[in-house]
Amino acid sequence: MDVANFIKYILQGTVYTLGVTAVALPSGLILGTLFALLAVYGGKTLKQVMSLYSTVMRGIPPIVLLLILYFVMSGEINLSPFWAGSISLGIISSAYQMEIVRGAILSVSAGQMMAARAIGLTRMQAIINIILPQTLRNAIAPWSNEAAIIIKDSSLVYALGVPEILRRAQLIGASSGSYLPAYLTAALIYFALVFASSRLLGLLEKKLEIPANP
Amino acid sequence: MPQPILTIKKLTKIYGNNVIFRDIDLTVAEGDTIVIIGPSGTGKSTLLRCINLLTHPDGGEIWLDADEITAKGANEDLVRQHIGMVFQNFLLFNHLTALDNVKLGLTKVKHMNDKAAEAKAFEELKRVGLSDRAHHYPGQLSGGQQQRVAIARALAMDPRIMLFDEPTSALDPELIGEVLEVMRDLSKSGMTMLVVTHEMGFAREVADRIVFMEKGNIVEEGSPDDLFYRPKFERTREFLWKITELYGKKENADGPSAAEDTESNQPAAEENA
Amino acid sequence: MKKGLILLALVILITGSLLGCQPEAPLEQTSNPPSSPSKLDSINTAGKIMVGTSADYPPYESVDESGKYIGFDIELMAAIAEGMGVKLEWVDMPFDSLIAAVQENKIDLSISCFNYSEERDQQVDFSEAYYTSKDAFLVAKGFSGTIAKPEDVVTLKVGVQSGTVQDDWLTSNLIDTGLLKEENLSRYERVDQAALDLQAGRVDVLMLDEVPAKNLVSQYEGFNIVLSAELSTGPLNIVLPDGDVALKAEIDKQIKALQDSGKIEELAQKYFSE
Repeated sequence: MDVANFIKYILQGTVYTLGVTAVALPSGLILGTLFALLAVYGGKTLKQVMSLYSTVMRGIPPIVLLLILYFVMSGEINLSPFWAGSISLGIISSAYQMEIVRGAILSVSAGQMMAARAIGLTRMQAIINIILPQTLRNAIAPWSNEAAIIIKDSSLVYALGVPEILRRAQLIGASSGSYLPAYLTAALIYFALVFASSRLLGLLEKKLEIPANP
Repeated sequence: MPQPILTIKKLTKIYGNNVIFRDIDLTVAEGDTIVIIGPSGTGKSTLLRCINLLTHPDGGEIWLDADEITAKGANEDLVRQHIGMVFQNFLLFNHLTALDNVKLGLTKVKHMNDKAAEAKAFEELKRVGLSDRAHHYPGQLSGGQQQRVAIARALAMDPRIMLFDEPTSALDPELIGEVLEVMRDLSKSGMTMLVVTHEMGFAREVADRIVFMEKGNIVEEGSPDDLFYRPKFERTREFLWKITELYGKKENADGPSAAEDTESNQPAAEENA
Repeated sequence: MKKGLILLALVILITGSLLGCQPEAPLEQTSNPPSSPSKLDSINTAGKIMVGTSADYPPYESVDESGKYIGFDIELMAAIAEGMGVKLEWVDMPFDSLIAAVQENKIDLSISCFNYSEERDQQVDFSEAYYTSKDAFLVAKGFSGTIAKPEDVVTLKVGVQSGTVQDDWLTSNLIDTGLLKEENLSRYERVDQAALDLQAGRVDVLMLDEVPAKNLVSQYEGFNIVLSAELSTGPLNIVLPDGDVALKAEIDKQIKALQDSGKIEELAQKYFSE
């Protein structure tokens, strides 16, 4: 088998891998931020519900959750494996992202809220204008970690039949008999993706940094 | 006799089994500068926080002009627009420049348009002597500068009364002067002020009245001369002169203060009101 | 309190899903298979049939370097689709997911070197056999034992692909009877993993379908088929949605036509000769 075609076949899976990540990561962020706000500012019942959600979703291996969500979700609506897988990963990630954002909110000092209320801002205004902007800055570093995890976990959708990097490596490995080179190629591609994303997010963090005297 | 700006009647605050203060009465007339002094833990900060409803009293009433702000159904956010507060730890919004810190209340609360808000914000910064630092972030400012921005932020809302909760206690000695100067000018310009502080020199020179609180009670109140030279209680005399020794005219005190202030360690429980 | 809540939630989830699960294909609105519309109608209306396979099993199904699906099952199914007058769309996924995909209506049917088994028959239906294969016992270079009959493997470390009929056969005939110890049987998600372990000596013998076994012999030096027999395998069948008689009739008809025309024999020659 031609080496160039071999690598190319696996490389084509990158589109799917990035696609899954592009759906899962932002949906996880939006849900996670919403849940975090409920967990920090919600009433007692809401706080308990959020805590339960977080504990359960983070206590089960992602692949198990993925299969459950896929078969539950696709029982109702007819979604392709790509969308079902990506959204499911997003839901799973939301539990982890909720914890990240929650931690970031709590690390913004209580005094900020107090000062905001003191000039007449409502609680909602304070959350949007004062707490969240600082929260999101605090959240970038751990979030970069979660982004890397999602890129890697995107490989789990191979079980649903999405032709992403890992599945392609399996297929071409089987047909060529060269399993090790196939998996090594896959590993290299994942590594490159994770490396690039960490770098990019590092740049973003620097750009958003609030100036201070050393 | 014109309506006082602030009237406090029989105010009570209890945390669990501790009575922080009980049945406090206090009146602040327009233009008055009232300084509250007393040992740490006597409830001075809590009292201030009750006034702008960051903390809720357990009994008594507070009146701002002719409105009872402790009444059921009072709009707290609205009330706080008329009461300015300056905190010991400045509490500037870290992610905003000095200008934006001052502007925020104007655009979000008073719904001024951006241009007008910016102009006014600049004015206030000028008033506290920091117009050249408008585009600096809190992390780029000294403690004294931060506190002055905080004062500008509170003033921008055109409050009826300004509350100062130990405004200089967290500052390096050399920086205290610039903040006290701003406060002095403010008082002279006729702003109604209620100040909790250990700065005796300021109290003596600027206050219209001094209130001495201890163990949750107002022991004595009167003009600076009254309290310093004709105190009714021995305890008053004792405290005032002890503090003056430490803080008084020696505004650049030599060593760290012995009168440790643990007042700022009020329970944080009700801060996210 | 929190732990109790979690346990409660899990119990509710599990109970709910067990109650909600039906062994019959939940495709139709009613759950009376004979009277519900057949998949065949929707396939004909759409002019397209969606077929699931696990394309990591040469020479039955695999991909060439341009990513095109190739193999015995692939070409056979293409011929069937042509006979039905519909377009063919392949859906690849790991072998273990295929049955569930047919049940859950993700695919219309599946061809992937499936052997009939009673267990699977409870969840899905099978077409008539389209080919008959054998089981093979595969060893690596340097193997010094004797395997004259299948039971001879009980003294060895055995490897098998999980979920296959070989797995079923080994389990019911050797493990459940106590002849082969559980810890001496290694189950693998894929054949390539099993082959690597065989080469490394972590297992002594693999039991798998004869055709991929021959494929491995050509890939790995020293691999050798020491015994082949019709134990678990035999006929290969296409997996169909449970209770869909019309579709089964159509598929069976197509298979028969291809057998009669000699097409299947032609494909077997192409893919299975040494």
